[in-house]
Amino acid sequence: MGIVLDKFPVVAKAVPGGQVLLTSTDYIVDLGRKYSVWPLTFGLACCAIEMMVAYAGRFDFDRFGVIPRPSPRQADLLLIAGTVTKKMAAPIVEIYHQMPEPRFVIAMGSCASCGGPYYDSYSVVKGVDRIVPVDVYVPGCPPRPEALIYGFMELQKKIMGMKLERGGGATAQAEKGSRDLTGEAA
Amino acid sequence: MKPDPVARLLAALPRAESAASPVKDYPTLRLAAPADILAAARILKDELGFAYLEMVTAVDWLGPVSLAGFVSSANPSPFTKKAPPPPVAPAAGAGIAYRPVLDMLWSFGNLQTGQKVFLRLEVPRDNAEVPSLTSLFAAADWQEREAFDLLGVRFSGHPNLTKILTPDFLKGHPLRKDYAHEKDAYDED
Repeated sequence: MGIVLDKFPVVAKAVPGGQVLLTSTDYIVDLGRKYSVWPLTFGLACCAIEMMVAYAGRFDFDRFGVIPRPSPRQADLLLIAGTVTKKMAAPIVEIYHQMPEPRFVIAMGSCASCGGPYYDSYSVVKGVDRIVPVDVYVPGCPPRPEALIYGFMELQKKIMGMKLERGGGATAQAEKGSRDLTGEAA
Repeated sequence: MKPDPVARLLAALPRAESAASPVKDYPTLRLAAPADILAAARILKDELGFAYLEMVTAVDWLGPVSLAGFVSSANPSPFTKKAPPPPVAPAAGAGIAYRPVLDMLWSFGNLQTGQKVFLRLEVPRDNAEVPSLTSLFAAADWQEREAFDLLGVRFSGHPNLTKILTPDFLKGHPLRKDYAHEKDAYDED
């Protein structure tokens, strides 16, 4: 957590006397969110193998506060790792709506981003952003764990831009497509 | 002493013949009628020790068809120029006997001797119906449901012949050569 301690004096102000700390609500809430993004354990295809490697010792997702949860009701992040078939589309939407807000979605790999090699298939959804809003796309077939970690850090950047005045951290429901968490593009 | 499955089956089913096109080098038998598969499977399982049903599948031998049923154009990449429309499907290719049949294929394994034997059976595409092997092999249940789902073969006597792989809203059998995809809620272009 060295990063946090380095940056903390900039945004937090200690009142003389040492017992009280002043900071912005947005910063402290976003900080907590950023370092406790719990993903749902959810692998669909070969990308899930790379996702598991990212959780394991060599890449150690735990150091970002990424702790996989077995239930969507305890998860913040839906990590779509693999091919989304049309048969799996309805369960994914159901899982997404079971997650508490604010919830985030990472589309990992070519298939989840746009259908990938199965674009012409009769049975594959051409990108998970056709059924749920996506925050970060990670290209690759499959992406290496470094790429997934980079995508996760991009999500952390977006989380740090969220403001409570824009709906208490809950984002407007986009039915599909990618999503602008920070509201800067609007 | 390994049993010779082909000789035993030929003795019991005189109308069957050793297939002209075997599966690799494995002993392959072409059956004459759908009713023979149950008798053959019973001999294989009870007498010859082929107690492991490895696979039930089929091949659609309908010739090249129009590409109209394909999901999108032959060249969907947005980074390249639109390709010319696909050529009209060629006539029957050289050396391949296209015919309106589904070539059923069963694979049996003997785990004691390491042998395999394949059974083939041609059924017409329009009325593809063969007896189910679920009374002999529990493993036939899902295999036959898959062949039904993807190729439209009906297995008479199957206890639960329903879709297993494709979603409920998908119409048709995707591995048939003349399958035409109907756009569904997830295909918007």
